[in-house]
Amino acid sequence: MSKVTPTRKRAEAVRRSGYRDVRFRLLTWLASMGVVAIFAGVMAALGIGAWPAIKAFGFPFLYTEIWNPVTDQFGALASIYGTLVTSLIAMVIAVPVGIGIAIFLTEICPRPLRRSIGIAIELLAGIPSIIYGIWGLFVFAPWFQSGLQPWLIDLFSNVPVLQDYLGGAPYGIGIFTAALILSVMVLPFISAVTRDVFETVPTTLKEAAYAMGCTTSEVVWRVTLPFARTGVVGGAMLALGRALGETMAVTFVIGNAHHIQTSLFAPGTTISATIANEFTEAVGPLYLSSLIEMGLILFFITFVVLASAQLMLGALERRAGGLSS
Amino acid sequence: MEGRDKVKIDVKNLSFFYGGTQALKDITLPIYDRKVTAFIGPSGCGKSTLLRVLNRIYELYPNQRAEGEVRLDGEDILHSKQDTNLLRARVGMVFQKPTPFPMTIYDNIAFGIKLYERIPRSELDGRIEHALQRAALWGEVKDKLRESGLSLSGGQQQRLCIARTVATKPEVILLDEPASALDPISTAKIEELIDELVKDYTIAIVTHNMQQASRTSDYTAFMYLGELIEFGNTEKVFTAPTNKRTEQYITGRFG
Repeated sequence: MSKVTPTRKRAEAVRRSGYRDVRFRLLTWLASMGVVAIFAGVMAALGIGAWPAIKAFGFPFLYTEIWNPVTDQFGALASIYGTLVTSLIAMVIAVPVGIGIAIFLTEICPRPLRRSIGIAIELLAGIPSIIYGIWGLFVFAPWFQSGLQPWLIDLFSNVPVLQDYLGGAPYGIGIFTAALILSVMVLPFISAVTRDVFETVPTTLKEAAYAMGCTTSEVVWRVTLPFARTGVVGGAMLALGRALGETMAVTFVIGNAHHIQTSLFAPGTTISATIANEFTEAVGPLYLSSLIEMGLILFFITFVVLASAQLMLGALERRAGGLSS
Repeated sequence: MEGRDKVKIDVKNLSFFYGGTQALKDITLPIYDRKVTAFIGPSGCGKSTLLRVLNRIYELYPNQRAEGEVRLDGEDILHSKQDTNLLRARVGMVFQKPTPFPMTIYDNIAFGIKLYERIPRSELDGRIEHALQRAALWGEVKDKLRESGLSLSGGQQQRLCIARTVATKPEVILLDEPASALDPISTAKIEELIDELVKDYTIAIVTHNMQQASRTSDYTAFMYLGELIEFGNTEKVFTAPTNKRTEQYITGRFG
């Protein structure tokens, strides 16, 4: 029965879908503009909220260690230091381990085990951070305090420099404990992203390396890793972004002390831990404003990390001459 | 002519299995020293599989196994305590798709050399130039050795891969459809290169291209459904095939 649709009907249908297309385009525009608006709004809110503190303390806010709510004296240095140091230690631990897991999963692990280990790692990413916090405070910290920590302190007690960084009293909680918990938390990100990029390395390329007589480790170091480096750096940066902002678990185990001490075992604080801890008790306007300014600083640090990651990835890609082909 | 050539690789009663599927059935043939042996046949006939047995690259994958004998200079590479890395140093392979490593042109060649030898920089430079010259690529890349191997054209990349293989000084070079992804000019260059390389190396080439097989090879093996149908002097296989199927295939009536 159905022959050729009359031209008029077709023209109508085309026009209808044309309207729909315009509407669709507008919606996607709106959605992305919404993100820009939210970003600007957050920046503005933080800026306005932080203004009294910026006016009162100026630049020295960034390098003053004193944090005294009683006398209304505030400086962010201890928090900034804690944020950077915990994240740095976490990355130093998690990046090699995460890459190792990815290498194992893609190159060495027997096929039947591959899926189950992969799922276990992804589940690790699904554990809420409050669980990490509770576990860190009630299980890990006491064990660390009575087991590993005294042993480490003992081990490095006569080593110059290291004895200052890994010495002192075993509190259990502190900068180092927070960093360890953080490293476990970011590990799934690093290993999952790294594994995914490793899997994009063409089989023919690996075969070619094996065909030259390479061993598995030579193939990994010389072919797989260089091929996947942009992705690996990207995964690490994503993890760093998360480590810098992680609040709950860190707040539980870091000790919340506004002091910078040489020993990594000493209690400290991070920007997010300070904000979470003190927001409810920040009664004075300057106190509240100082906390908001710290939020602004964290925002800035995270932004710089992510932006430099983008730049680095771009540079790596240019140097490699378009590896994606 | 067959009588005078020395056998480099002797394949005897070779069978190959992908899990439960048999891909090669009782293959027996010689690969002669410093001659080009071409493997032809329709897709799925097992010619690439046979090549992948010769350097045991199939072992990278579970569930793949070979039965029979493959003797390289008299030594069975399948069943002896043969070190596969050493075997692959002696039997190099170039793949269908060019596979430059993600590093500079210079490092691509240096990579293979450094796997087996510790040599001073000046000597390394010489070896790299020599390898690139053997692969007829030196003139095109001598001013950009520090650029990525991936910046080259497909044909250049393939010659880079050949140079890389040559640089490790193998005895046998396996070419798995080395020109099927290349344009006619690049293909001609690869074929010229094969003519040149065969003076020093034993070459086994898998190809879909009848003209290429007849132009470049001394011996031809025609395979079909995992079996070796005909093996012999290339001229004879192409002008007076003894098997009906061989004749049909090379004249383009099936395949």
